[in-house]
Amino acid sequence: MKIIIDRFDGVKKYIQAYILDINEVKGKTLLALLQHIKRTQDISLNFTSACRMAICGACGVRVNGHSYLACDTKMDDLLAEYDYPDTFRISPLANFKVLSDLVVDWEPSIENLRKVKPTITAKDEFSEKNGCTQTQEEVDTIKKQWDCILCGCCASECNKLEADSSDYMQPFVYTHAFRAAYDSRSKDSLKHLKPAINNGLWNCVHCQECADRCPKGISAADDISNLRVLAMKKGLKKGTGPAHAEAFLLDLENTGRLNEIYLALRSEGVLANTTKIDIAYNLMKAGKMNPLHIFGDDKIEGHEDLIKMIKAARAANKE
Amino acid sequence: MNKESFNRRDFLKSSTIGVGVLAASSSPVSIMAKELKKDSTKNSLPAIDVLVIGSGGAGLRAAVAVRKKYPNLSVVVVNKGMPSRNATCMAEGGINGVIDFENGDSNKLHAYDTVKGSDFLGDQDAIIKFAKKATEAIHELDYAGMPFNRQKDKSVARRFAGGAKYERCNYAADKTGSIMMHTCLDEAITYGVQFLLDHYLLDIATNEGECEGVVLLNIQNGKVLPVLAKSVILATGGYTRVFYNRTSTPFNASGDGIAAALRAGLAFKDPEMLQFHPTGVRNGGALITEAARGLGGKLINNKGERFMSKYSTRLELAPRDIVSRSIETEIRLGNGFSKGMDAYVLLDVTHLGEEKIMNELPQIRHVGLLFEGMDLVKEPIKIRPTAHYSMGGIEIAKFDDMSTHLAGLYAAGETSCASIHGANRLGGNSLADAAVTGKLAGEGAGEYASKKKNFSSGKHAKELAKQWRAKIKDITNSSSNTSEFYDLREEFGQYNWDNMGIFRTGEKLQKHIKILDDIWAKYNNIKIANPNMFYNTALIEYLEFGNLILLARCACLAALNRKESRGAHTREDYPKRDDVNFLKHSLVTLKDDKLHIAYKDVVITEFAVEERKY
Ligand SMILES: Cc1cc2nc3c(=O)[nH]c(=O)nc-3n(C[C@H](O)[C@H](O)[C@H](O)COP(=O)(O)OP(=O)(O)OC[C@H]3O[C@@H](n4cnc5c(N)ncnc54)[C@H](O)[C@@H]3O)c2cc1C
Ligand code: SF4
Ligand code: SF4
Ligand code: FES
Repeated sequence: MKIIIDRFDGVKKYIQAYILDINEVKGKTLLALLQHIKRTQDISLNFTSACRMAICGACGVRVNGHSYLACDTKMDDLLAEYDYPDTFRISPLANFKVLSDLVVDWEPSIENLRKVKPTITAKDEFSEKNGCTQTQEEVDTIKKQWDCILCGCCASECNKLEADSSDYMQPFVYTHAFRAAYDSRSKDSLKHLKPAINNGLWNCVHCQECADRCPKGISAADDISNLRVLAMKKGLKKGTGPAHAEAFLLDLENTGRLNEIYLALRSEGVLANTTKIDIAYNLMKAGKMNPLHIFGDDKIEGHEDLIKMIKAARAANKE
Repeated sequence: MNKESFNRRDFLKSSTIGVGVLAASSSPVSIMAKELKKDSTKNSLPAIDVLVIGSGGAGLRAAVAVRKKYPNLSVVVVNKGMPSRNATCMAEGGINGVIDFENGDSNKLHAYDTVKGSDFLGDQDAIIKFAKKATEAIHELDYAGMPFNRQKDKSVARRFAGGAKYERCNYAADKTGSIMMHTCLDEAITYGVQFLLDHYLLDIATNEGECEGVVLLNIQNGKVLPVLAKSVILATGGYTRVFYNRTSTPFNASGDGIAAALRAGLAFKDPEMLQFHPTGVRNGGALITEAARGLGGKLINNKGERFMSKYSTRLELAPRDIVSRSIETEIRLGNGFSKGMDAYVLLDVTHLGEEKIMNELPQIRHVGLLFEGMDLVKEPIKIRPTAHYSMGGIEIAKFDDMSTHLAGLYAAGETSCASIHGANRLGGNSLADAAVTGKLAGEGAGEYASKKKNFSSGKHAKELAKQWRAKIKDITNSSSNTSEFYDLREEFGQYNWDNMGIFRTGEKLQKHIKILDDIWAKYNNIKIANPNMFYNTALIEYLEFGNLILLARCACLAALNRKESRGAHTREDYPKRDDVNFLKHSLVTLKDDKLHIAYKDVVITEFAVEERKY
């Protein structure tokens, strides 16, 4: 079996192939396999890990282009998933700066987290001396988001980051903003919401890749949607974002499916969109957007229900 | 650029302080910026008021404590990787601290359980203060946004943990540590604590009985960097990786801080006190948390017996040392399954039902699936005791500020030994230790730094840095066989397990001292065949391994000389606790490359020494 690894020695990028007996592969986790290669073949291969039980987030890598937690991925499962290939390609997480081989730079992510001020300011009735009170139901609304281990798998898959990272943050940063903004003990959700808006909240293209690949089953896409809902509720309606939201609803009402290209055109106008052609191109190239969608699409199943839900939501919002 | 002329501006640039952040952010960073301007003339070394090494629960709490109480000081947290990778995030069970005083529990009872759990080797003055502060810590963490599970009355949910008479182990599902660590990390980020990622602590620099700073290795580019600090807090975690192939702790638990402190002349207190957790997965030792037993998990041998009834009336809820020894005894008696390193017994939680397991133990169910391919919902899982926690650590001079015997140097969390845990740590007490001692160390180091006018000259730090540069060059510039290094580390782990593990004898330990000397000699001849200094992880592993060998030698020496059985330390040739001769702490120091052992009395105040029965 051939394991091809994308290498970077600090100066140049190259690929290297390691040949392994299938018995050296079977029964191991992907992390154990990387350790085995380092131990028996190449001490210069660099990757990071700490807990080896899917809780510290250190070992995110890509296999054949998709992100995985190395310690949480059994080679037997990978073999089955890819229909018993004779080669795997292992690369560092995408959308991060690579420091060496499979090791990426987390400094910018910490600074992004800093922007959304991830810690709550507790309400005045609470104190450091006596703590807070909260019901289990209230904890449950933010519980899922607290599972985030900062592994970066979502960011690696994010189409928006891939297309243009200059006006966007890693998906997990919005998840962190969500859990602070929605915490029932929090005095001021705007503290987290505003910086999220100012740093790309409306630029998510809702491709759902982040939710698809998160090893903890977190949907940053949902968290982003919910933060947008909160923004609308709080009357933060200026800018292209909210117009985008209106277009989004219209789309869903028409076909039940989000038409990315139409959406962009409608909410920002043709002129603004000429700058986005390369984004669209990148998405198409990555196989993540179907150019034919510009001609509209069939309605999806359950569309009627969706319309009903949107109507109900609109009615509720007016009250 | 000349290495020595690396100034503070470069230092701050290389930490996570981007230009944009400098411009955008509020008070904390502008103070850093002010610092920046002040400097630059005569002193060429980077200088930080309070430097925290390690970013587990202890380090993060320390850094936040400094920022809250001394907002004018600069604080930088150094970590050998991304800050969120550590042992703290792995803790599952919960964090101790009495918050329900209505039903008979009290701080005093928490203290008593801790003293008794420690097999009376804990220092009672520290433990009594600790128990009180643990209550405070739970409320502080709640206030900082930690999403604890909740009771019906909206207060923090708690459960039983081993060795405790009341439900005082507060929890957030079975991810308490991860959630606590992320709470602390978020708080540090929000409070403007600056991080220096991918920097490895090599050594502590001392000058005339005072800590003048540290020497770091920038892993990203391989540069060795002397850094000045008014005070330094060591929070680098434990050294359980001495049992390399059978431990529940992360790969980075290599005791770097303790080793550096030893080299700086400080004492390593109670190094022989290494805790084994009864339930690790058979393969490699990843943890099945105590919560599984707390919720009613049963231990079963090959005869289908719930064998704990033979050893303790508290059954599976007896303290860890007792349960661990019971399992090993069963295996020795031939009542386990399989043989040798593969031997195991079963832990059964199936009777709890799918819903309860999915709700309260999702993480350990996952661990079972990953390492053994077994689903706890459907079948009992194969377990064996695993090395888990280091009770020993850097000797603390004063619990109130976590200062060491070196002025300006503080220690917190698993790296430190304020003797809260004595010979055996109770479940839930170490997260509390990290939270409590972290904060104390932060406030202590903050106060010291705020009183100190000037930075030292950095003469020793520069000298040490020079030595390290030469050493690293020597290690990485030669060629060697790749597997040699890793084989030796594996061998080291196995020998430690066999000779210095759960059951110890004088004969085995005597032999082991020799073995460790041999391993040390071999180690010093091994080179790392990779001169590329961009993120050279093999070099880091090599340096960590060196520290582990040093610490294992200390542990072995102290274990050989402690001719009694107490807590985690079981001498089969001395099966009884000996209060006449050994109601005292071991102190191991390093002088001229030789180890020395001395003793110090245990502090006994409120609770009379008695036989430990459960
Ligand atoms: C699987 C598991 C389960 C546990 N369950 C519980 C529980 O339920 N309840 C409980 O109370 N306790 C539990 N514990 C114990 C508890 O998690 C730890 O004792 C505690 O978190 C230690 O915290 P710390 O901050 O001292 O160290 P750590 O969290 O280990 O942090 C040490 C930090 O120092 C850094 N570091 C180390 N060396 C260097 C260096 N040379 N240079 C720079 N940085 C360095 C590391 O990268 C790391 O970030 C558990 C431990 C494990 C492993
Ligand atoms: S849904 Fe949004 S955040 Fe998630 S991957 Fe797609 S663009 Fe990125
Ligand atoms: S949201 Fe999921 S994928 Fe993204 S960093 Fe957190 S745990 Fe990883
Ligand atoms: S090593 Fe910690 S998540 Fe994989």
